[in-house]
Amino acid sequence: MISDFDSNWNIIDSDYCLMHAPNAEEITHKMFHYIAHTEKIIGLNASGVAFSNIDDFNLTNKRFYGCNFMQCIFRGLQSKGFRSRMSTFDFAVFSDCNLLESNIQFTSFAGAKFSHVLFTGSDMIQDNFTGLESFQSSFDDSDLYNSRFIKARLIDTSIRNCNIKNTVFREIEQQNLSFRLSNTNEAIFDERGSALFTGMKELDNPVGAKI
Amino acid sequence: MKFYFHLNIDTFSNTYVVLDEHSKCAVIIDPGKPTNEVLKQIETDGYTLCAALITHNHEENIRGLNTLRRIYDLSVYAADIDVANTAETTIKGDGILKFGGINVEYFSVPGHTADSIVYKIGTVLFTGDVISAGEIGSTTSSYAKNLLCKGIQSKIFTLSDDTVIMASHGPMTSVSAEKMYNLAAASPAIKHKNLFTGL
Repeated sequence: MISDFDSNWNIIDSDYCLMHAPNAEEITHKMFHYIAHTEKIIGLNASGVAFSNIDDFNLTNKRFYGCNFMQCIFRGLQSKGFRSRMSTFDFAVFSDCNLLESNIQFTSFAGAKFSHVLFTGSDMIQDNFTGLESFQSSFDDSDLYNSRFIKARLIDTSIRNCNIKNTVFREIEQQNLSFRLSNTNEAIFDERGSALFTGMKELDNPVGAKI
Repeated sequence: MKFYFHLNIDTFSNTYVVLDEHSKCAVIIDPGKPTNEVLKQIETDGYTLCAALITHNHEENIRGLNTLRRIYDLSVYAADIDVANTAETTIKGDGILKFGGINVEYFSVPGHTADSIVYKIGTVLFTGDVISAGEIGSTTSSYAKNLLCKGIQSKIFTLSDDTVIMASHGPMTSVSAEKMYNLAAASPAIKHKNLFTGL
Protein backbone atom coordinates (compact mmCIF):
# COMPACT_ATOMS: atom_id res chain seq x y z
CA MET A 1 0.00 0.00 0.00
CA ILE A 2 1.26 3.44 -0.87
CA SER A 3 2.44 5.73 1.91
CA ASP A 4 0.39 8.71 2.99
CA PHE A 5 1.23 11.37 5.58
CA ASP A 6 -0.47 12.59 8.74
CA SER A 7 -0.76 16.24 9.72
CA ASN A 8 2.75 16.14 11.25
CA TRP A 9 4.24 14.70 8.06
CA ASN A 10 4.80 11.28 9.61
CA ILE A 11 4.60 8.42 7.12
CA ILE A 12 1.43 6.32 7.50
CA ASP A 13 0.09 3.47 5.39
CA SER A 14 -2.86 4.29 3.18
CA ASP A 15 -5.42 1.60 2.46
CA TYR A 16 -4.81 1.65 -1.26
CA CYS A 17 -2.20 1.16 -3.93
CA LEU A 18 -1.61 4.28 -6.04
CA MET A 19 -3.78 3.03 -8.88
CA HIS A 20 -6.84 2.58 -6.67
CA ALA A 21 -6.32 5.46 -4.24
CA PRO A 22 -9.23 7.92 -4.51
CA ASN A 23 -6.84 10.82 -3.74
CA ALA A 24 -3.89 9.61 -5.82
CA GLU A 25 -2.99 13.07 -7.08
CA GLU A 26 -3.00 14.52 -3.58
CA ILE A 27 -0.83 11.69 -2.22
CA THR A 28 1.60 12.15 -5.10
CA HIS A 29 1.96 15.87 -4.42
CA LYS A 30 2.47 15.21 -0.70
CA MET A 31 5.14 12.69 -1.60
CA PHE A 32 7.05 15.18 -3.78
CA HIS A 33 6.86 17.73 -0.96
CA TYR A 34 8.00 15.19 1.65
CA ILE A 35 10.99 14.02 -0.39
CA ALA A 36 11.97 17.58 -1.31
CA HIS A 37 11.98 18.66 2.35
CA THR A 38 13.34 15.56 4.10
CA GLU A 39 16.97 14.50 4.04
CA LYS A 40 16.69 11.04 5.62
CA ILE A 41 13.72 9.06 4.34
CA ILE A 42 12.86 5.75 5.99
CA GLY A 43 10.25 3.19 4.96
CA LEU A 44 8.50 5.24 2.26
CA ASN A 45 6.33 3.27 -0.17
CA ALA A 46 6.08 5.28 -3.39
CA SER A 47 5.45 2.38 -5.76
CA GLY A 48 4.00 3.46 -9.08
CA VAL A 49 4.64 7.19 -8.68
CA ALA A 50 5.98 9.13 -11.68
CA PHE A 51 8.80 11.52 -10.79
CA SER A 52 9.02 13.29 -14.12
CA ASN A 53 10.62 16.67 -14.73
CA ILE A 54 9.40 18.14 -11.47
CA ASP A 55 10.68 21.63 -10.74
CA ASP A 56 13.12 21.86 -7.84
CA PHE A 57 13.11 18.07 -7.38
CA ASN A 58 16.66 17.06 -6.63
CA LEU A 59 17.94 13.99 -4.81
CA THR A 60 21.35 15.47 -3.98
CA ASN A 61 22.45 14.20 -0.56
CA LYS A 62 19.06 12.53 0.06
CA ARG A 63 19.24 9.28 2.03
CA PHE A 64 16.70 6.50 1.45
CA TYR A 65 16.46 3.52 3.80
CA GLY A 66 14.04 0.63 3.26
CA CYS A 67 11.98 2.51 0.67
CA ASN A 68 9.83 1.01 -2.05
CA PHE A 69 10.02 2.65 -5.50
CA MET A 70 8.79 -0.36 -7.49
CA GLN A 71 7.44 0.55 -10.94
CA CYS A 72 8.18 4.25 -10.45
CA ILE A 73 9.16 6.50 -13.32
CA PHE A 74 12.13 8.82 -12.90
CA ARG A 75 12.70 11.27 -15.70
CA GLY A 76 15.19 14.15 -15.81
CA LEU A 77 16.45 13.51 -12.29
CA GLN A 78 19.68 15.25 -11.23
CA SER A 79 21.64 14.34 -8.12
CA LYS A 80 25.06 14.06 -6.58
CA GLY A 81 25.70 12.08 -3.42
CA PHE A 82 22.33 10.29 -3.42
CA ARG A 83 22.37 7.47 -0.84
CA SER A 84 20.22 4.32 -0.63
CA ARG A 85 20.18 1.22 1.55
CA MET A 86 17.82 -1.77 1.43
CA SER A 87 15.49 -0.01 -1.00
CA THR A 88 13.82 -1.46 -4.05
CA PHE A 89 13.51 0.13 -7.49
CA ASP A 90 12.33 -3.09 -9.19
CA PHE A 91 10.71 -2.54 -12.60
CA ALA A 92 11.27 1.23 -12.32
CA VAL A 93 12.05 3.31 -15.40
CA PHE A 94 14.90 5.84 -15.35
CA SER A 95 15.47 8.10 -18.30
CA ASP A 96 17.84 11.05 -18.72
CA CYS A 97 18.95 10.86 -15.09
CA ASN A 98 22.30 11.87 -13.61
CA LEU A 99 22.89 10.07 -10.31
CA LEU A 100 26.56 10.94 -10.00
CA GLU A 101 28.75 9.84 -7.07
CA SER A 102 25.85 8.00 -5.47
CA ASN A 103 26.19 5.55 -2.61
CA ILE A 104 23.67 2.81 -3.35
CA GLN A 105 24.18 -0.42 -1.44
CA PHE A 106 22.04 -3.54 -0.97
CA THR A 107 19.43 -2.04 -3.26
CA SER A 108 17.45 -3.75 -6.00
CA PHE A 109 16.93 -2.54 -9.58
CA ALA A 110 15.61 -5.88 -10.89
CA GLY A 111 13.73 -5.55 -14.16
CA ALA A 112 14.41 -1.80 -14.25
CA LYS A 113 14.96 0.14 -17.46
CA PHE A 114 17.77 2.70 -17.77
CA SER A 115 17.95 5.02 -20.73
CA HIS A 116 20.66 7.71 -20.71
CA VAL A 117 21.40 7.23 -17.03
CA LEU A 118 24.74 8.11 -15.47
CA PHE A 119 25.93 6.53 -12.22
CA THR A 120 29.52 7.71 -12.77
CA GLY A 121 31.75 7.52 -9.68
CA SER A 122 29.25 5.65 -7.51
CA ASP A 123 29.51 3.01 -4.80
CA MET A 124 27.02 0.34 -5.86
CA ILE A 125 28.02 -2.57 -3.66
CA GLN A 126 25.84 -5.68 -3.58
CA ASP A 127 23.09 -4.25 -5.79
CA ASN A 128 20.65 -6.29 -7.84
CA PHE A 129 20.51 -5.47 -11.57
CA THR A 130 18.91 -8.80 -12.55
CA GLY A 131 16.79 -8.36 -15.67
CA LEU A 132 18.00 -4.78 -16.12
CA GLU A 133 17.58 -3.18 -19.56
CA SER A 134 20.22 -0.51 -19.94
CA PHE A 135 20.57 1.72 -23.00
CA GLN A 136 23.31 4.33 -23.44
CA SER A 137 24.05 4.41 -19.72
CA SER A 138 27.23 4.54 -17.70
CA PHE A 139 28.56 3.00 -14.50
CA ASP A 140 32.10 4.29 -15.12
CA ASP A 141 34.51 4.62 -12.18
CA SER A 142 32.08 2.82 -9.87
CA ASP A 143 32.38 0.02 -7.32
CA LEU A 144 29.99 -2.76 -8.35
CA TYR A 145 31.41 -5.34 -5.93
CA ASN A 146 29.18 -8.41 -5.42
CA SER A 147 26.36 -7.01 -7.59
CA ARG A 148 24.37 -9.16 -10.02
CA PHE A 149 23.55 -8.47 -13.68
CA ILE A 150 21.88 -11.82 -14.38
CA LYS A 151 19.75 -11.82 -17.58
CA ALA A 152 20.49 -8.12 -18.05
CA ARG A 153 20.32 -6.46 -21.46
CA LEU A 154 23.16 -3.98 -21.76
CA ILE A 155 23.23 -1.90 -24.92
CA ASP A 156 25.82 0.85 -25.46
CA THR A 157 26.52 0.62 -21.77
CA SER A 158 29.81 1.48 -20.17
CA ILE A 159 31.28 -0.29 -17.15
CA ARG A 160 34.78 1.20 -17.42
CA ASN A 161 37.34 1.44 -14.66
CA CYS A 162 34.97 -0.31 -12.24
CA ASN A 163 35.55 -2.77 -9.44
CA ILE A 164 33.58 -5.82 -10.59
CA LYS A 165 35.03 -8.32 -8.14
CA ASN A 166 32.44 -11.05 -7.58
CA THR A 167 29.98 -9.23 -9.86
CA VAL A 168 27.83 -11.75 -11.73
CA PHE A 169 27.16 -11.36 -15.49
CA ARG A 170 25.23 -14.51 -16.42
CA GLU A 171 23.00 -14.89 -19.48
CA ILE A 172 23.39 -11.24 -20.36
CA GLU A 173 22.61 -9.76 -23.76
CA GLN A 174 24.88 -6.98 -24.88
CA GLN A 175 25.85 -4.67 -27.70
CA ASN A 176 28.80 -2.30 -27.40
CA LEU A 177 29.31 -3.07 -23.76
CA SER A 178 32.65 -1.84 -22.50
CA PHE A 179 34.60 -3.14 -19.50
CA ARG A 180 37.80 -1.23 -20.27
CA LEU A 181 40.13 -1.02 -17.24
CA SER A 182 37.71 -3.02 -15.06
CA ASN A 183 38.89 -6.17 -13.27
CA THR A 184 37.04 -8.67 -15.48
CA ASN A 185 39.30 -11.47 -14.23
CA GLU A 186 37.58 -11.24 -10.85
CA ALA A 187 34.01 -11.04 -12.21
CA ILE A 188 31.80 -14.07 -12.85
CA PHE A 189 30.65 -14.72 -16.41
CA ASP A 190 28.62 -17.70 -17.57
CA GLU A 191 29.96 -20.63 -19.54
CA ARG A 192 28.59 -19.37 -22.83
CA GLY A 193 30.81 -16.35 -22.36
CA SER A 194 28.00 -14.13 -23.56
CA ALA A 195 29.78 -11.03 -22.40
CA LEU A 196 33.25 -12.04 -23.37
CA PHE A 197 32.99 -13.24 -26.92
CA THR A 198 30.09 -11.64 -28.71
CA GLY A 199 30.94 -8.25 -30.00
CA MET A 200 32.16 -6.74 -26.78
CA LYS A 201 34.72 -4.03 -27.32
CA GLU A 202 37.65 -2.79 -25.33
CA LEU A 203 37.94 -5.74 -22.97
CA ASP A 204 40.96 -4.85 -20.95
CA ASN A 205 42.07 -8.19 -19.65
CA PRO A 206 40.39 -11.27 -21.12
CA VAL A 207 43.15 -13.60 -19.98
CA GLY A 208 42.22 -15.44 -16.81
CA ALA A 209 38.60 -14.29 -16.82
CA LYS A 210 36.34 -16.80 -15.12
CA ILE A 211 34.10 -18.34 -17.76
CA MET B 1 9.78 -2.68 12.55
CA LYS B 2 13.39 -2.00 11.54
CA PHE B 3 15.52 -4.25 9.35
CA TYR B 4 19.31 -4.11 9.13
CA PHE B 5 21.80 -6.14 7.14
CA HIS B 6 25.49 -6.83 7.61
CA LEU B 7 27.81 -8.24 4.97
CA ASN B 8 30.46 -10.61 6.30
CA ILE B 9 33.40 -10.08 3.97
CA ASP B 10 35.06 -13.37 5.01
CA THR B 11 32.26 -15.53 3.65
CA PHE B 12 30.32 -13.07 1.44
CA SER B 13 27.29 -13.89 3.60
CA ASN B 14 24.62 -11.62 5.05
CA THR B 15 23.40 -11.39 8.62
CA TYR B 16 20.12 -9.62 9.35
CA VAL B 17 18.79 -7.96 12.47
CA VAL B 18 15.08 -7.19 12.96
CA LEU B 19 14.03 -4.76 15.69
CA ASP B 20 10.52 -4.10 16.98
CA GLU B 21 10.30 -0.59 18.45
CA HIS B 22 7.20 -1.31 20.56
CA SER B 23 8.21 -4.52 22.35
CA LYS B 24 11.96 -3.68 22.23
CA CYS B 25 12.51 -7.20 20.95
CA ALA B 26 15.32 -8.03 18.51
CA VAL B 27 15.77 -11.09 16.32
CA ILE B 28 18.95 -12.03 14.46
CA ILE B 29 18.92 -14.16 11.32
CA ASP B 30 21.94 -16.25 10.31
CA PRO B 31 24.52 -14.78 12.70
CA GLY B 32 27.65 -15.51 10.69
CA LYS B 33 29.78 -12.98 12.48
CA PRO B 34 28.38 -10.89 15.35
CA THR B 35 30.52 -7.78 14.94
CA ASN B 36 30.51 -4.85 17.33
CA GLU B 37 28.28 -3.06 14.85
CA VAL B 38 25.66 -5.83 15.09
CA LEU B 39 25.76 -5.85 18.91
CA LYS B 40 25.59 -2.05 19.03
CA GLN B 41 22.55 -2.08 16.78
CA ILE B 42 20.79 -4.48 19.14
CA GLU B 43 21.77 -2.82 22.39
CA THR B 44 21.34 0.83 21.44
CA ASP B 45 17.92 1.98 22.62
CA GLY B 46 17.64 -1.00 24.97
CA TYR B 47 16.59 -3.83 22.69
CA THR B 48 16.67 -7.41 23.95
CA LEU B 49 17.87 -10.16 21.66
CA CYS B 50 14.99 -12.66 21.87
CA ALA B 51 15.96 -15.25 19.28
CA ALA B 52 18.33 -16.34 16.56
CA LEU B 53 16.70 -17.80 13.45
CA ILE B 54 18.89 -20.15 11.41
CA THR B 55 18.00 -20.83 7.77
CA HIS B 56 20.27 -23.89 7.54
CA ASN B 57 23.22 -25.51 9.21
CA HIS B 58 26.16 -24.17 7.24
CA GLU B 59 29.22 -22.65 8.86
CA GLU B 60 28.72 -19.12 7.47
CA ASN B 61 25.20 -19.00 8.94
CA ILE B 62 25.93 -20.22 12.45
CA ARG B 63 29.53 -19.27 13.16
CA GLY B 64 28.54 -16.47 15.54
CA LEU B 65 26.12 -18.52 17.65
CA ASN B 66 28.62 -19.51 20.33
CA THR B 67 29.58 -15.88 20.89
CA LEU B 68 25.95 -14.78 21.08
CA ARG B 69 25.07 -17.60 23.48
CA ARG B 70 27.84 -16.45 25.80
CA ILE B 71 26.46 -12.90 25.84
CA TYR B 72 22.70 -13.46 25.77
CA ASP B 73 20.16 -15.94 27.10
CA LEU B 74 19.23 -16.85 23.57
CA SER B 75 16.73 -19.23 21.96
CA VAL B 76 18.05 -20.59 18.68
CA TYR B 77 15.44 -21.75 16.17
CA ALA B 78 16.54 -24.15 13.43
CA ALA B 79 15.39 -27.32 11.74
CA ASP B 80 18.57 -29.11 12.75
CA ILE B 81 18.57 -30.10 16.43
CA ASP B 82 22.38 -29.92 16.49
CA VAL B 83 22.05 -26.17 15.95
CA ALA B 84 18.89 -25.51 17.95
CA ASN B 85 20.15 -27.64 20.88
CA THR B 86 16.65 -28.21 22.33
CA ALA B 87 13.60 -30.03 21.02
CA GLU B 88 11.41 -26.98 21.79
CA THR B 89 13.29 -24.75 19.40
CA THR B 90 13.73 -27.34 16.67
CA ILE B 91 11.20 -26.43 13.99
CA LYS B 92 9.81 -28.64 11.25
CA GLY B 93 7.50 -28.02 8.31
CA ASP B 94 5.61 -24.73 8.25
CA GLY B 95 4.44 -22.67 11.21
CA ILE B 96 4.39 -19.40 13.11
CA LEU B 97 6.61 -18.04 15.87
CA LYS B 98 6.14 -14.88 17.93
CA PHE B 99 8.81 -12.84 19.69
CA GLY B 100 7.42 -9.73 21.39
CA GLY B 101 5.75 -7.85 18.56
CA ILE B 102 7.57 -9.77 15.83
CA ASN B 103 5.46 -12.40 14.08
CA VAL B 104 7.52 -14.88 12.12
CA GLU B 105 6.09 -17.32 9.60
CA TYR B 106 8.40 -20.13 8.59
CA PHE B 107 8.33 -22.59 5.72
CA SER B 108 10.47 -25.63 5.11
CA VAL B 109 12.01 -25.56 1.61
CA PRO B 110 14.49 -28.46 1.39
CA GLY B 111 16.81 -29.06 -1.56
CA HIS B 112 19.91 -26.98 -0.90
CA THR B 113 20.05 -28.76 2.46
CA ALA B 114 17.49 -30.98 4.15
CA ASP B 115 17.06 -28.48 6.98
CA SER B 116 16.51 -25.35 4.86
CA ILE B 117 13.91 -23.02 6.35
CA VAL B 118 12.77 -19.59 5.12
CA TYR B 119 11.38 -16.99 7.53
CA LYS B 120 8.82 -14.30 6.69
CA ILE B 121 8.57 -11.19 8.85
CA GLY B 122 6.06 -8.66 7.54
CA THR B 123 6.69 -8.36 3.80
CA VAL B 124 10.31 -9.51 4.04
CA LEU B 125 11.34 -13.10 3.38
CA PHE B 126 14.71 -14.33 4.67
CA THR B 127 15.62 -17.18 2.38
CA GLY B 128 19.13 -18.27 3.36
CA ASP B 129 20.56 -20.19 0.42
CA VAL B 130 17.18 -21.37 -0.91
CA ILE B 131 16.91 -18.53 -3.43
CA SER B 132 18.91 -15.36 -4.05
CA ALA B 133 18.89 -12.71 -6.78
CA GLY B 134 18.69 -14.64 -10.07
CA GLU B 135 19.92 -17.91 -8.62
CA ILE B 136 18.92 -20.82 -6.39
CA GLY B 137 21.05 -22.61 -3.82
CA SER B 138 23.52 -25.26 -4.93
CA THR B 139 22.28 -28.84 -4.91
CA THR B 140 23.99 -32.21 -5.04
CA SER B 141 21.65 -34.01 -7.42
CA SER B 142 18.93 -33.38 -10.00
CA TYR B 143 16.40 -34.78 -7.52
CA ALA B 144 17.41 -32.18 -4.93
CA LYS B 145 17.30 -29.44 -7.56
CA ASN B 146 13.77 -30.43 -8.61
CA LEU B 147 12.70 -30.58 -4.97
CA LEU B 148 14.13 -27.13 -4.35
CA CYS B 149 12.51 -25.61 -7.46
CA LYS B 150 9.13 -27.13 -6.56
CA GLY B 151 9.44 -25.80 -3.02
CA ILE B 152 10.30 -22.32 -4.32
CA GLN B 153 7.40 -22.32 -6.75
CA SER B 154 4.84 -23.59 -4.24
CA LYS B 155 5.94 -21.70 -1.12
CA ILE B 156 7.78 -18.56 -2.28
CA PHE B 157 6.35 -17.70 -5.69
CA THR B 158 2.84 -17.91 -4.24
CA LEU B 159 3.59 -15.01 -1.90
CA SER B 160 2.66 -11.45 -2.80
CA ASP B 161 4.70 -10.06 -5.73
CA ASP B 162 6.09 -7.20 -3.68
CA THR B 163 7.52 -9.53 -1.01
CA VAL B 164 11.17 -8.60 -0.58
CA ILE B 165 13.67 -11.48 -0.59
CA MET B 166 16.80 -11.19 1.54
CA ALA B 167 19.20 -14.07 1.05
CA SER B 168 22.36 -15.28 2.74
CA HIS B 169 24.41 -14.26 -0.28
CA GLY B 170 24.12 -11.39 -2.72
CA PRO B 171 21.74 -8.45 -2.98
CA MET B 172 18.08 -8.23 -2.08
CA THR B 173 15.41 -8.99 -4.66
CA SER B 174 11.65 -9.48 -4.85
CA VAL B 175 9.25 -12.33 -5.59
CA SER B 176 8.07 -10.67 -8.82
CA ALA B 177 11.65 -10.27 -10.07
CA GLU B 178 12.57 -13.87 -9.28
CA LYS B 179 9.45 -15.19 -10.99
CA MET B 180 10.68 -13.50 -14.17
CA TYR B 181 14.47 -13.70 -14.04
CA ASN B 182 15.61 -16.53 -11.79
CA LEU B 183 17.91 -18.77 -13.83
CA ALA B 184 16.54 -22.03 -12.41
CA ALA B 185 13.18 -21.40 -10.78
CA ALA B 186 11.41 -18.90 -13.05
CA SER B 187 8.35 -20.65 -14.42
CA PRO B 188 8.62 -21.93 -18.02
CA ALA B 189 5.48 -19.99 -18.99
CA ILE B 190 7.11 -16.71 -18.00
CA LYS B 191 10.39 -17.63 -19.68
CA HIS B 192 8.43 -18.43 -22.85
CA LYS B 193 6.66 -15.08 -22.64
CA ASN B 194 10.01 -13.30 -22.30
CA LEU B 195 11.37 -15.07 -25.34
CA PHE B 196 8.74 -13.53 -27.58
CA THR B 197 8.69 -10.08 -26.04
CA GLY B 198 9.52 -7.49 -28.63
CA LEU B 199 8.87 -9.61 -31.70
